[in-house]
Amino acid sequence: MDTQNPTDKDGRTAPAARAGLTRRTFVRAGLAAMLAPPWLHSMNAGARAAAMRGIGPDGEIVLGVSAAFSGPSRGLGTELYRGAKSYFNHVNQNGGVNGRKIALKLYDDGYQPDPCVENTVKLMLEDQVFLLFGYVGTPTVTRVLPMLKKFQAQRVYLFFPFTGAQPQREPPYGDFAFNLRASYRQETAGLVNNFVRIGRRRIAMFYQADAYGRSGWAGVRAALARHGYEMAGEATYRRGTRFTGSMRAQVEILKKASPEAVICVGAYAACAAFARDAVDLGLRVPIANLSFVGSENLLNLLSEGQDDPGAYTRYLVNSQVVPSYEDTSIPAVKEYRELMARYDPQVPKELVKEAYTPFPNSFVSLEGFLDAKLMVEILRRLKGRPDRSGLQEAVFSVRDYDLGIGEAVSFGPERRQGLQKVYYTVVEDGRFVTLDDWEAKFG
Amino acid sequence: MKIRKLFQKTQFGIFGLFGLIVLSTSALTIYTVQTHLSTEYEGNSRNIAKTIADASVDILLNRNLATLQSLIDQFVEIQGIRYVYITSDTGEFLAHTFVPGIPEVILESDPNETRAVNRQLPGMGEFVEVGSPILAGFAGTVHVGMDLDVIGLKIQRAIGQQVYLISILLVVGVLGSIWFVNLAARPLGELLAFAVKLAKEEDADGAETEHILARDDEAGELARLLLHISQRRTPADEPPPAADGTG
Repeated sequence: MDTQNPTDKDGRTAPAARAGLTRRTFVRAGLAAMLAPPWLHSMNAGARAAAMRGIGPDGEIVLGVSAAFSGPSRGLGTELYRGAKSYFNHVNQNGGVNGRKIALKLYDDGYQPDPCVENTVKLMLEDQVFLLFGYVGTPTVTRVLPMLKKFQAQRVYLFFPFTGAQPQREPPYGDFAFNLRASYRQETAGLVNNFVRIGRRRIAMFYQADAYGRSGWAGVRAALARHGYEMAGEATYRRGTRFTGSMRAQVEILKKASPEAVICVGAYAACAAFARDAVDLGLRVPIANLSFVGSENLLNLLSEGQDDPGAYTRYLVNSQVVPSYEDTSIPAVKEYRELMARYDPQVPKELVKEAYTPFPNSFVSLEGFLDAKLMVEILRRLKGRPDRSGLQEAVFSVRDYDLGIGEAVSFGPERRQGLQKVYYTVVEDGRFVTLDDWEAKFG
Repeated sequence: MKIRKLFQKTQFGIFGLFGLIVLSTSALTIYTVQTHLSTEYEGNSRNIAKTIADASVDILLNRNLATLQSLIDQFVEIQGIRYVYITSDTGEFLAHTFVPGIPEVILESDPNETRAVNRQLPGMGEFVEVGSPILAGFAGTVHVGMDLDVIGLKIQRAIGQQVYLISILLVVGVLGSIWFVNLAARPLGELLAFAVKLAKEEDADGAETEHILARDDEAGELARLLLHISQRRTPADEPPPAADGTG
């Protein structure tokens, strides 16, 4: 038993313990093995195999990642990875977690559900990773959740996906995932409440025609209903639409509804195309985006090559689930900026299919950094040899933990989301700054 | 060549018969395939709508609309299904797959309709839409739209394949009939040539003559008969010896 005999980091019995074995012990053990029923042998072998899962050849803890490293949303997967990897690199360089380094097994899903499911099967069954980490997107994650339920006996949990959708926060799949970020429901409720407060009650929606868009749609609808309002209008776009695509049809649909604000639930390429066409066609109302949009990529697309860089960005208001990466008075932000500058991690070349120039700092990479920081803390809390069976207990032991952003993180059986706070930002002087006065900006 | 005239009517008859077979088989195929595929597609749509309806009950009652959207998105990947939407018991659109928005025709339609309805959606095409109630209609209705263009294309392809096969059979049949007619006409030609030689009292010896006389079919028998007649006729036709008038 691991708890009785001292073991090394790979679970082998220590020499001192082996030295204590006598001939009588060997004889007893041999007799016990001969008399034991055959299924007991297979159970022990199964238990040993399960214990080996997720540990690499050099004893490192292997985390499985499926994210968008290609396609129009590749910026999201890339930035999230860069933020997380900067912290993991820092931890590995300083001895790892309880003497073990952390390794990431990466796959690209291009933000498409089917490849994501295939990657997850590989990660779980072939690569036998310790846990799943840093997935990107609602349509991808919602398709993976039933897999986690199907293989629940293996206790492979999904940690900190980059999505604020409800399915991984509620039954029947909530037990298989742990979230750090605030939910889309919280983001959309905050946006609606602020718009209504400043008198903008006719709120329309532009959203991705999939589970992500529907999740945001449901949040806006519920928030409006609490104020006694209905959605003024809605238009959709197909996932994977690029910035070069036209959103004029969507703008025309929404213009008929005469909205006083539009909430977008989409990825940066399509949302930037919508903001551009909205301004061009005279729909000049506040255009809100959720944290998933990838604010820096959105800003980049809308201001690049413009004579007036603010032409398309002065109506933007983006909700965020992490504080501003410009605010170096926040300890975690200071640490994040230092480690990003020191390591500047890049996506492995074999996963790069299209050119992408990463940002030195971004909201998404800060979120990835915080995800990694909490992940390391949870792995540190695992007692003895890393074992999936102890993961949930380790997560639930996180109570009022200070990540360094001024908001304590807690988990529990009824609390599977660490952070609750939503921040709001607007574009000023070509960068996102915190929005403090809604009335002055959009009133 | 003259002999073929004898078979011209037969050949025209064969062409006519084949043409009739092609036309009637094609018409029957078109009718059968169209009816069969349309019924099958409508049945499939209805099954899909029912499958979604059955799977949606818990999701709807939990108000988990993202999962509901994820569910219907998977069905739109099936060939022929162009749109799926779910309305609540009050007629509110809870999830749909329309881009860039829900068409006016759909917005104005009866959200609880479950019968098959043909819809013309501007910019999208023509569809047959079927519905299935969720929890006997108390939780809402699932609507599935099948693309009639896709169905039409499939029908065209099926009919095209049938007509292609029948056309090949027609061509092969016609060419075969010509070959058979020519085959049947050849001994008649030889017989005619033999008869002409006899009539002209030419030398009837030779390989061709031997060939036609050696045949054991009707042409050979006729040749031998003609030869026999010509041999019998010759002594009778000879002028009688002159009478000795001086005598």
